Amino acid sequence: MNAGYDVLIKRVLDGELSPADLPPALRAEAEQALRWLGAVERAPVALSAAVEARVMARVRRHARSPLSRAWRWLASSRDVDIRLRVRPWVVGLATAAAIALVVLWPAGSVAPSHQPTYVRFVFYAPGARTVAVAGTFNQWDPHASPLALTAAPGVWTTTLALPPGQHQYAFLVDGAHWIADPAAPAVDDGFGRRNSVLAVTGADGKGRAL
Amino acid sequence: MSSGQSPSDGEAVRRVLAGEVEMYAVLVRRYRDRYARYAARMLGSYDAAEDAVQDAFVRAYDQLRQCREPERFAGWFFLILRNRCFAERRRRQREARPLGAHDEAIAGVERAEGRAERADDRRALERALARLTPEQRDVFVLKHVEGLSYEQIATLVQASVPSLKMRMHRAYDRLRVELKELL
Repeated sequence: MNAGYDVLIKRVLDGELSPADLPPALRAEAEQALRWLGAVERAPVALSAAVEARVMARVRRHARSPLSRAWRWLASSRDVDIRLRVRPWVVGLATAAAIALVVLWPAGSVAPSHQPTYVRFVFYAPGARTVAVAGTFNQWDPHASPLALTAAPGVWTTTLALPPGQHQYAFLVDGAHWIADPAAPAVDDGFGRRNSVLAVTGADGKGRAL
Repeated sequence: MSSGQSPSDGEAVRRVLAGEVEMYAVLVRRYRDRYARYAARMLGSYDAAEDAVQDAFVRAYDQLRQCREPERFAGWFFLILRNRCFAERRRRQREARPLGAHDEAIAGVERAEGRAERADDRRALERALARLTPEQRDVFVLKHVEGLSYEQIATLVQASVPSLKMRMHRAYDRLRVELKELL
């Protein structure tokens, strides 16, 4: 036995049909369903003005709290400048290891590299006034990496030097609309939107969508 | 620049991030009530809605650097509040707290004001809504309380229209079963 509504009644509830569009046998139930739908509480809700005071009190505490500041620092992205101090003999060992790696590496394979790889971003957006790409590689700065319109109508492109690794990115059209790359897989960014994912594999000079 | 006018969302967000904490009050004042009805209908209680909105504002402040489009703070804030409402409903379900208790309190006001039949419908509906999953109730509230189309909901919550319709239609089926028991 089917405990659900007939699909036609659901379309009435969705506002796509009226009960008069339904076969007579379904009309009474559709009218009943519309009656309880009409009973939905829709009155506006106004919260107490004290909400603002309470939020701001907590926000001020968070702004002052070293722990909260540390958390915000950790949660936000930024450039990190890492400097290594190495002793000369470590450099010698590393050089020897690198030479051994090159000599022993199987023919046809490519040694891993930390050199940037040039990745070309191409985006088709006919009618767009501006297109930019932002991602983990430029701290999601919408102004850092604009795309240029090519001779082909609607085709925008730019080439960026990216370090090896996995990068998330999205295109920003007209400074307002974030669009995931339709040609790449995407992951949730935690706020209901999608970021595209790109893996730069390094010395073979290729970037690939994961 | 503010030039005496109320700053835009984008300007307010940028000034808060630059250290002007008090500017956050502009955003709180602006959006305190806009999504209060959504929270109240999701959680079935004015008090729970107030707590959820407060918590969402504090969380949004802590995560403000992640607001990639400051001019669209409202939509970003809504998603934080929505997650907070989902979490609260799941927490209540885990603790097996009766979800309908507050709903009945809201419906009770209407009973005194309106016709008895309509009040009975509303009371039954509120109790039935309390038995939907958070996801089903979310789409029900956005469509039938906030009056958004499936397309508008899809844009707001970054979901596809077919998946939202499926969720809504399952909610209708569930409500039919619950209302048959209650009415």
